[in-house]
Order: sequence, then C-alpha cells, then structure tokens
Amino acid sequence: MTFAVDERELESLIEVSRRSRAKLERLHEVLTTPGHYGAGATPAQVVYSENKLRLLRLVDDGGQPRNGPPVLFIPAPVSRYFILDLMPDRSFAGYVAAAGFDVYIADFGVPTREDRFCDLAYYVDGLIRRSVRTICRTSGVDEVGIVGYCLGGTLALLYSALHPETVARLALLTTTVDGDVEGGIAWVAHRMGLEGESYEQPRLVPAIEVKSWFEMLSPGSNSVLGRVSDLWDRLDDPPERLRDVRTMASWVDDVVPAPGRLLAEMYSQFGPGRNGLMKGEAAVGNRPVDIGNVTMPVLSVSAARDTISPPEGVDAIGSIVPQAEIVRLRGGHVGIVAGRAAAGLWPRVVEFLGNGKDSGDRADG
Amino acid sequence: MAEETSNQEPTLVEQWLEEQREWQKTTLAYLDSIVRDEEFLTHLGNAMRGSLLAGKPYPTPVPPAASAPESDFADRLDQLLFAVRELQGQVADLRMTLDEIRAGQDKAATGADPAAGAADEGGGSNAARQADR
Repeated sequence: MTFAVDERELESLIEVSRRSRAKLERLHEVLTTPGHYGAGATPAQVVYSENKLRLLRLVDDGGQPRNGPPVLFIPAPVSRYFILDLMPDRSFAGYVAAAGFDVYIADFGVPTREDRFCDLAYYVDGLIRRSVRTICRTSGVDEVGIVGYCLGGTLALLYSALHPETVARLALLTTTVDGDVEGGIAWVAHRMGLEGESYEQPRLVPAIEVKSWFEMLSPGSNSVLGRVSDLWDRLDDPPERLRDVRTMASWVDDVVPAPGRLLAEMYSQFGPGRNGLMKGEAAVGNRPVDIGNVTMPVLSVSAARDTISPPEGVDAIGSIVPQAEIVRLRGGHVGIVAGRAAAGLWPRVVEFLGNGKDSGDRADG
Repeated sequence: MAEETSNQEPTLVEQWLEEQREWQKTTLAYLDSIVRDEEFLTHLGNAMRGSLLAGKPYPTPVPPAASAPESDFADRLDQLLFAVRELQGQVADLRMTLDEIRAGQDKAATGADPAAGAADEGGGSNAARQADR
C-alpha cells in the first residue's frame, strides 16, 4: 500500500499546524501569566462596610490617603466595581486619585438571595447616604464630589436630589435620564413584551440572565461559536494586548446577579413609557424626588457609540438639570471609562471636579 | 562549509515530524499546567467558551433555588435576613449620629477649630443635620 502525498498539500498542512500551535502556545502563556484580574488595581483601605458593600478609600504607594477634595465613585450595582479601577495604568479612579483627590469607591459586592429585596431606597437612602456620611467624617468635610457610572449615575442623581447639601459636584457618566429614547436594555425588554421583574415577589436575577441582556445589544456576542471564533482570531495578537483583553474579559464576563426588586422599581419608574425622571415623578421609597434640588454643578457625559445607554437619552438631562454641562465623547459605554476613548474622559472629569482649583497634592496624572 | 550544511532546508517530511514533536511539547505544557494549577482548568474551560475570564468559571445557568426560594419557609427566612441587613444599616446610622454628637460636644468643650475637629472625630457641622436623618 502506498500513500500519495501531494507536496503542496503537506506544505500547507504544516503551515496550518504551525499557526494553530502558535495560537495555543500564546493562549497558554496568557492563561498562566498573573494579572490584575477581578480586583481593583490601586491600593485601597476599606473604611466602611455594610451587607455586601465595601467603601474603598484609595491610598498612595505608602498607604496614605490623598488630602485633596473627596470624590465618591458609584458604579452600577449590576456589575463589578473594578471597571473604574481596572489596571495600574488604566484606572479611572486611580487617575483621579493621582490628580490629588481623596478617592472613594462604593463596591456593592455580589448580591445573594436575600438581597433580591434591595430596592432604590436601600441603595440611595441607605448604602450611598451612609457612604457619604462616612466620607464626610473620614475626610472632615460637609460635601463630596460624586461620579456615577451607568445605573450608578441614576442612583447618584437621585441621591443628589434628596441630599443636595452633601454633594459638591456631580459627574454622571453614560447615565440614561430619558427612558423614552429607544435603545438600551430596558427597551430590549419592552420590545420583547416582557413583564419585567416583580416588585412584590422579587427574585435574584441570575448573572447569566443579566449577561444575556447585555449580549442582546451586541449581536453575535451571545453565541458560543461566535465568541470562540473571535478569541481564536485574537490569539494572533501580541501577549500584552491579550492580557489587556483578559483584564477586560474579567470584568465583562464577571456579571453579578441583580436584585429583582431594584430592577422592577427602576423599570416601572424610569423605563419606556414611564420616564419618571423626565416627568418629575420619581420617588425613592415614600419620598418624592425633586430633581430641581440638583443645583450643584453637574457634568453629564455620553458615549457616541453607546448601545447600553443611548447618548440622546443621556444628554436629555439638559432639560431637567439646566446647569448641566453636557459632553458627548467618541467611544462606547465601557470604552470611555476604561478603553482607548478614556483619554478623552479622565482629564475632563478631573478638570470638572477640581473646577480649576488646586486639588491638593496634584501629581502627574 | 559548516554554514552551508546548517542552511540546508529540512525536507517536508522532516518538517512534519518536527512539527509533531512541537505539538507534543505544547500538549505537555498544557498538561503540566493542569497538574500544577487547579485554576488552569477553569481558565481553559472559559477559553473553550470564548472567554478569557480569570479566577472563576464563565457564568452558566443556575438552579432555580439559587435565585428564588423553593418554599415559604426559605422565603420568610430570606425576608428576615434582609430585615436584619436593614437594621444593620439603621444601627450604623445611629452610631454615626452618636459619634457626631460626641464630636460636637468635644469641640464645644475645647473650643477647637471646627475643621480640625471634624477631621479627627467626624463631621462636626454635619452633626445636627445628620442627627435628624
């Protein structure tokens, strides 16, 4: 018996084999290299904790807090906080801290089953209010700057309307205020005719379900085959680039379960057709929220390619908070805080928070 | 002359055999990592789902009991636990208020600089406002 081997066929087979092996060797290298995965990058102290919340205060390399004005970062409670403090050279919060501000981050943690009862009041008038009280005590001030990201911005806006005397300046990043602008997760649910979560009988919405909502906004990302094929293509990238991808994946794919009651309340108050913020009908617990109380300086930043918070729905804040400075940056929802587009956001926010004043021990940001 | 010898291109069959040896090395490297690091399998499993997520398995469907209780008893237990969490917050509020009142009294007694007092003890001028919250 003889094998007829075509030389060109063998040559191309060897080439395919080499390329595949190189990819797998690169994957092995990336998977075995330690990195900043799943935790903040900047040294921090826990200054307050309650239930799953940890209030982190960023410190310098010597373990000392900065002495500039305090700033509280509020991330979305349905994702992990460390997108705001991703890597040593790619940390939004770290950048603001390096500019001299005394930076705090609210890490809401990972909810468990009993946390499905957490509602707006629990977050806004509970966790955030006590965090601000703690910061005022710790930093010895009466008011703090607040930076809210995505749903964290919605919580920050509600808090600022209820307790304006404690907020010096408010920066809202990709925070939807006009729920009638089509796009985003609420609209996916609306278009699909979903009932939404139950307020009375809430469930802890599983992480994979929360993730599937985000994936619906970027077609293709919810197919295993699509993801594997994308990763396979990326394995040609240099290892440093892949480590960046891994850091980001460790945030994107680490979605947390969501308290059903919070989602039910936000959807019924601010979702399509309700639009409570624009109509002035928002409430936190039994307390009506008067957005007119938000008289402090406000910066609202939208991202031009944001599929999660459509920019028009974000920029609409101008009609309910007239003094708001509205900025639209190039980039997507995540890119403007932690990606390449972040170069446009970070200095802008530092400038806004400092308002031209020296922020203390300003360093090279 | 030696250079000429080393520059000789290996035959295709030799290249193929060399490639097979390299594959063995790659496979051994993976097996070695699996044996040495328990997390490596998790990371490999994530990669097989197209994700480079580190430190934990890629999210998969959870059993219904993890998101909603299966019995009335478990539901009431969850409600009770959540009520305890809320109480924990109220107690923290009370403690902060007490600290602020105490700091205010200390300052009044010593006539200290309000800003310095607030930094040391907490929230001086905030105390009255915070106390009624």
